Amino acid sequence: MSPQPQAAVGAPLSRVDGRLKVTGEAQYAAEFDIEGAVHAVIVDASIGRGRITGVDTDAAEAAPGVLRVIHHGNAPTLPYRDNPGSNNLPGRKLRVFQDDRILFHGQPVAVVIATTLEAAQHGASLVKFGYDAERPTTDLAEGEPGRPGNYSRGDVEAGLRDADVRLDMTYRLARNHHNPMEPHATIARWDGNRLTVWDKTQWVPGTQLELSTVFDVPLDSVRVINPFVGGGFGSGLRCWPHTVVAALAARETGRPVKLVLTRKQMYFGTGFRPAYEYRMRVGSDRRGRLAATDQGIDAETSSYETFTEAVMSPGQMLYSTPNVRQSYRTVPLDVNSPIWMRGPGAATGVYAVESAMDELAHELGIDPIELRRLNEPAQDPSNNAPFSTRRLLECYTIGAREFGWDRRNPKPRSTRDGDWLIGMGMASGVYHTAVAPAQSRGRLNANGTAVIECATSDMGPGTYTSQTQVAADALGLAMRAVDFRLGDSRYPQTPPHGGSMTMASIGSATLDVCIQLRQQAIRLAVEDEESPLYGVNAEDIVVRNGRLHVQGNPARGESYQRLLTRNDRTRLEANASFSPPRGERHSISAYSAVFAEVAVDATLGLVRVRRMLAVYDAGRIISPKLADSQAIGGMVGGIGAALLEHTVTDHRDGRIANAGLADYLVPVNADIPDLKAIYLEGEDMQADPLGVKGLAELVIVGVAPAIANAVFNATGRRVRELPITAEALL
Amino acid sequence: MYPFTFTKAASTHEALNAGRRGGRYIAGGTTLVDLMRETVERPETLVDISGLPLREVTVTERGGLRIGALVRMADAAAHPKVRALYPVISEALELSASAQLRNMATIGGNIMQRTRCTYFRDVTADCNKREPGSGCAAREGHNRTHAILGTSEACVATHPSDVAVAFAALEATVHLMGPDGERRIACADFLLRPGSTPNREQAIRQGELITAVEIPALPRPLKSGYLKVRDRQSYEFALTSAAVALHVRGGVIREAKVAAGGVGTVPWKLPAVERHLIGERPSEALWTAAAEKAAEGARPLEHNRFKVELLKRTVERQLRIVGGTK
Repeated sequence: MSPQPQAAVGAPLSRVDGRLKVTGEAQYAAEFDIEGAVHAVIVDASIGRGRITGVDTDAAEAAPGVLRVIHHGNAPTLPYRDNPGSNNLPGRKLRVFQDDRILFHGQPVAVVIATTLEAAQHGASLVKFGYDAERPTTDLAEGEPGRPGNYSRGDVEAGLRDADVRLDMTYRLARNHHNPMEPHATIARWDGNRLTVWDKTQWVPGTQLELSTVFDVPLDSVRVINPFVGGGFGSGLRCWPHTVVAALAARETGRPVKLVLTRKQMYFGTGFRPAYEYRMRVGSDRRGRLAATDQGIDAETSSYETFTEAVMSPGQMLYSTPNVRQSYRTVPLDVNSPIWMRGPGAATGVYAVESAMDELAHELGIDPIELRRLNEPAQDPSNNAPFSTRRLLECYTIGAREFGWDRRNPKPRSTRDGDWLIGMGMASGVYHTAVAPAQSRGRLNANGTAVIECATSDMGPGTYTSQTQVAADALGLAMRAVDFRLGDSRYPQTPPHGGSMTMASIGSATLDVCIQLRQQAIRLAVEDEESPLYGVNAEDIVVRNGRLHVQGNPARGESYQRLLTRNDRTRLEANASFSPPRGERHSISAYSAVFAEVAVDATLGLVRVRRMLAVYDAGRIISPKLADSQAIGGMVGGIGAALLEHTVTDHRDGRIANAGLADYLVPVNADIPDLKAIYLEGEDMQADPLGVKGLAELVIVGVAPAIANAVFNATGRRVRELPITAEALL
Repeated sequence: MYPFTFTKAASTHEALNAGRRGGRYIAGGTTLVDLMRETVERPETLVDISGLPLREVTVTERGGLRIGALVRMADAAAHPKVRALYPVISEALELSASAQLRNMATIGGNIMQRTRCTYFRDVTADCNKREPGSGCAAREGHNRTHAILGTSEACVATHPSDVAVAFAALEATVHLMGPDGERRIACADFLLRPGSTPNREQAIRQGELITAVEIPALPRPLKSGYLKVRDRQSYEFALTSAAVALHVRGGVIREAKVAAGGVGTVPWKLPAVERHLIGERPSEALWTAAAEKAAEGARPLEHNRFKVELLKRTVERQLRIVGGTK
């Protein structure tokens, strides 16, 4: 088969849905105008643990506009059929209004449905609950850890004992919340036994399955619609209780119901990146060859579900340490369940590993990059699998050159600019490349346009655009001739829109379906006596701008339009079902080297990032402009985690003490300096048919340790806690 | 949000009448509406005063400045007379909130704004300011951003305004108009320390209207400026701040006006610092010694101990910035 000319893939194209977004025409979940919709507002528990002893809804029910108040005392029993899918966590999920138990502060205890949003809000403020409150346990340091997950290779005790240098550090990371711009929202409507939800989600089929099991209705009776997602970062990977509440409210009132979480409610109504304590004991020889690491990891989870993530992976495979031991314990607390957040596990694990590497480099008097080079593994040390591609050393070389690493003075607190102490730091990053089964269907229309459909999402990375690029090239069509549709459970099934697997998984399905359509057209042409391509070897035909022609002889050919019309075909159709190849076992990950320069006010303790540069080994880059958006967004998120973001729990009663964007600080424009991203040219064909390794998760990984290491270089002060705030540096 | 009625006052007279009957004045609404949404504030009647003729910035006969209560923060900050005479006011305003908020919020509303204490703003938490007698959740709770000066057993919340810190430093007066006529009150007496009644925040009577803030004339040349220390670089309240104005003649500091923000239950005037400066020659040592007195009487809480040292350093830095080193 002749290779299709590459026109769209790799080109720095703007978003195909950009115009819709900037003109407000893109419809997000809460923006659908559903006839007859009424409004629902959730009442949140005001204790952190205990039981409901009474509920008074008189005032709320008497308030003008209020239609119904639903709570545990009057809610129907919901089937909650077992569903191990839908990204549900091991444990017993929160069941809305099914009993009087309060498991965390902010748990939904009632919903008020009213004819207007204002009436529902006011009604919600009038519902009064009585509680028998117990003191909750919400502090990671106070909880009772569960059984650890363990990993071990070599002999750690001996490795540490025989090491020339031993370090013992404990790093702490605050809980972080995703805080997407768009609040979580659901509109639910029942038509008989059929449920339609317009819902903010990163997994349309996952939400569909969850709702069908909660309400015990057939899967195909539930439709989930969500063409646009205003940011997610992982917060939409699960179907949260409020979506069930909306569907319940709609069923009980017989009206379509719209429910939008407040910003405050998103701090306990959806998940979060858990707080961690990561102890790291490191032993090495004088030259900097790592001998052993002993890693003890504790993380928050809820009392009712166990959340784990791939936090152990970086500490196993980033360096060729012969002796490694890890113990990963989740600590059940009276909090709501965590969920994956951008760079899940890796961002946390890499922070600990890369901070420790910087500490060791300083201890040994070795350049931090040199130390990493010394410990670069030849194969994945966690499973001895060969790397598909691992170009971390190139990332170091290019990054150091472009950033001006040679200008860094290794002696801490030695560079000054007026009141500011200047420092440089770097860190490696890694994120495992995930690929999952995905389906897609496509139509090539007689008018020379194509439609591709699958149930994936676009939370901002640009799925619409990048998939259109893949489809356009595979079909030989212009971008504007391809209509890529997503966000509807009636479309073919797709994996969660997360874990950096959308491009690899959906993209591979898209590629497959488009190749099938093109081949169908080519076959039609070469077998059609009236076609100028009649009798040509199908392998020799390419398609460009909707016109099939002989490779190297553009004059001999015809358009899709003409071919299909003459053959009385209104369309060609194809389905694709992509399954990740199970061939040779490789260790497949995307890598990065992140560089940061910070300024720290010598007396006031304020940290300001001056510039950042990251070099990515992420395989093939489908859409350079979107990749840059990802990279910049990831770095901004990393700056937030490093310096600002911290969900504060009041351990006396479990309330979130800063549940809002006025008090939970994320970076603003003024905090963000010059950010630069460089992508190593190449592809990883072991990873997936497109050769991509995933970018969206990777770009936040390594940012926080690069900044923390720069802060040390600037000040000589090692802060082992995120975020790094002024008080730690006074 | 609780239901309320809304009227628009066509004249000052009309506003005062509505105020006397219990109406709450609303201008930019950037604080009040937020708090109404959280049901922290539950006014029955709102009286929109934004149409009243209180939008002038004028130089007083003696060379001071009179800023109308309804002058928007953005307009006050950009006003040529404000910029020329009192840069400290412009700087404090420009470092406040966001551009969008500064375009809405007024000077009168700014000094009336209520604390950012998260327990005050969460109606399920104990708060003596919101609900007298319920207790103070912040004292033993998350209190990193809370006050270290002027606190009481009942309340440790900071006053969040920046420009009020500049006003306090410059010893501004608040002009009020009420049913019984007009009166003036010193900024320092207008904003009340919590004591045992943290619910009483201003020395304003029901129905009284702020008409202007007047900044007295100060000897010239006068150098002034505002420093705001905060976790992020914009759109964030102060951890600490310092407003400084200095009149130096013949190499000697003749007049010093200093106040701090982010640390007090009210904008915190620093007379001990001022006294230490007057009559002295500017020097690094002087700034350090004077700033050493900035945190006198501080009573830090569990999470805000750092503010004691940070306050001194903030004042020292701003003295140096305004006063120079020689």
